[in-house]
Amino acid sequence: MSGAQEAALRVEGLGKIFGPGCPECVAATGPELARELCAVCGSIVACWDVGFEVAAGESLGIVGESGSGKSTALRCLAGDQAPTAGHAYVRSVEGGTADLFTLPAADRRRVGVEDVGMVYQDPAEGLSLDITAGGNVVDRLAAAGWRHFGRMRERLLELLSRTEVPAERVDHVVRTFSGGMRQRVQIAKVLANRPGVLLLDEPTTGLDASVAAGVLDLIRDLQEELDLAVVVVSHDFRVIEMLTRRVLVMQHGRVVEQGLTDQLLEDPQHPYSQRLVAAAR
Amino acid sequence: MKGTRVTPVLDVRGLAKSFTLHGIGGRVVHAFSGVDFTVAPGELVALAGRSGAGKSSVIKAVYRTYRPTAGTVMFAPATGEPVDLAALPDADVADLREREIGYVSQFLRAEPRRGVLDVVARAGVRRGMEPGRAREAAADVLAALRLDRELWQTYPTLLSGGEQQRVNLASALLAPPRLLLLDEPVSALDPANREAVLSMISALVAGGTAVLTILHDHDAIRRLANQVVLMADGRVVDAGDPAEVLAEVAP
Repeated sequence: MSGAQEAALRVEGLGKIFGPGCPECVAATGPELARELCAVCGSIVACWDVGFEVAAGESLGIVGESGSGKSTALRCLAGDQAPTAGHAYVRSVEGGTADLFTLPAADRRRVGVEDVGMVYQDPAEGLSLDITAGGNVVDRLAAAGWRHFGRMRERLLELLSRTEVPAERVDHVVRTFSGGMRQRVQIAKVLANRPGVLLLDEPTTGLDASVAAGVLDLIRDLQEELDLAVVVVSHDFRVIEMLTRRVLVMQHGRVVEQGLTDQLLEDPQHPYSQRLVAAAR
Repeated sequence: MKGTRVTPVLDVRGLAKSFTLHGIGGRVVHAFSGVDFTVAPGELVALAGRSGAGKSSVIKAVYRTYRPTAGTVMFAPATGEPVDLAALPDADVADLREREIGYVSQFLRAEPRRGVLDVVARAGVRRGMEPGRAREAAADVLAALRLDRELWQTYPTLLSGGEQQRVNLASALLAPPRLLLLDEPVSALDPANREAVLSMISALVAGGTAVLTILHDHDAIRRLANQVVLMADGRVVDAGDPAEVLAEVAP
């Protein structure tokens, strides 16, 4: 047995508290108390003590109801939120020795541009809707230091072709695109600089079933082709079942169960996981 | 070979599974307990017994779709020391499933919106075959399983139960795993297709794969199995040589 492959992404003790925080916050919240709100100081413990590893080519799901903290955890990894506690290491960043959460701001931003890509449920968060599809992708290339116009255009067309965005729409403003097409542009942008880690926050929620299926298929194929380490947050078990091998279940900001995806679906252990699975089937 | 036992690929001891149903007051449902058996390389062990005896649950507990409640499931990988699948970290179990442990359920497990040939070829790629070679091998195994060539580009969800069963099998047979778990591999097949599948399983075992399979048909068990484990009400009631064990059971 070779043991687990070296992780592309390793997260330890990730926590995020909104509000002033106090010494009682952690003990005063969580699944046993069925609350995220600290009764002592009024802070919200959105997530706490979240840890996991994901290897290249592997995907991990995070499931839980709205407010369970799954999106907050993802946003901390994407660099959108400053975590209160924890560490995160990405293999492509200084060989996995540098904690993303303590990097200087400029370096942290570069990680978001080159190493860790995030696809948002709402394309308006990941794209500028009032510039063109091509402009969005080229911005991301430029942010990583690309300067040669011809090469950028070539990479842009390659990305749009791979994500099945029609080439004739490259110079159209994203606001004129359908929901599914916006997600494809977002994926093209996020993958522009070949990140090793892809974070997906409800990537197909809100899309028509047939459009969602096409986007899911694209993500699945890209993950295999590019050997991406993927973390996908979703409340939709069909998405989780299709994209992931392992899952974390979060409730009231804490991980209450982790397991293989088929095990979670067929033999959930925690009372909350059992409720969640029963509701989805 | 009967009698001379080499190091087993799978050594199951005291395996038990019960479910705690928190939604209905923490009621505990016992699936099975006290299950022991071994499967050596090149050996086929059949799980037999009536519906509800716990056979599928045993297979799922070995594969870790169910978390065992008690017992050990020692698996000897191609290299290195045996590992206890019951206690192994999830990521390691997932890796072994990709490379060394195959599972074919009674039901379709294929990914949605992917053609039959593609589904089967990808299983080979995951186990290290070069993509072009995997497609050729996938075509060979689908032909050997007598799956109509016209269906190779369609989605498996559109196929009949028997056709789906052969797609599942083809994925497992393409690049034979070290251990193959089969849940009623011929239940939905007509006699001719059943024969084709049984002879492929037999060839696989002859090639050294360890197979644990649920089989209902006594003829098939007698022909293929080195050992049979007979279950009733979640317990092993008899185990050993198929001819001897089956002699005491109504067919």
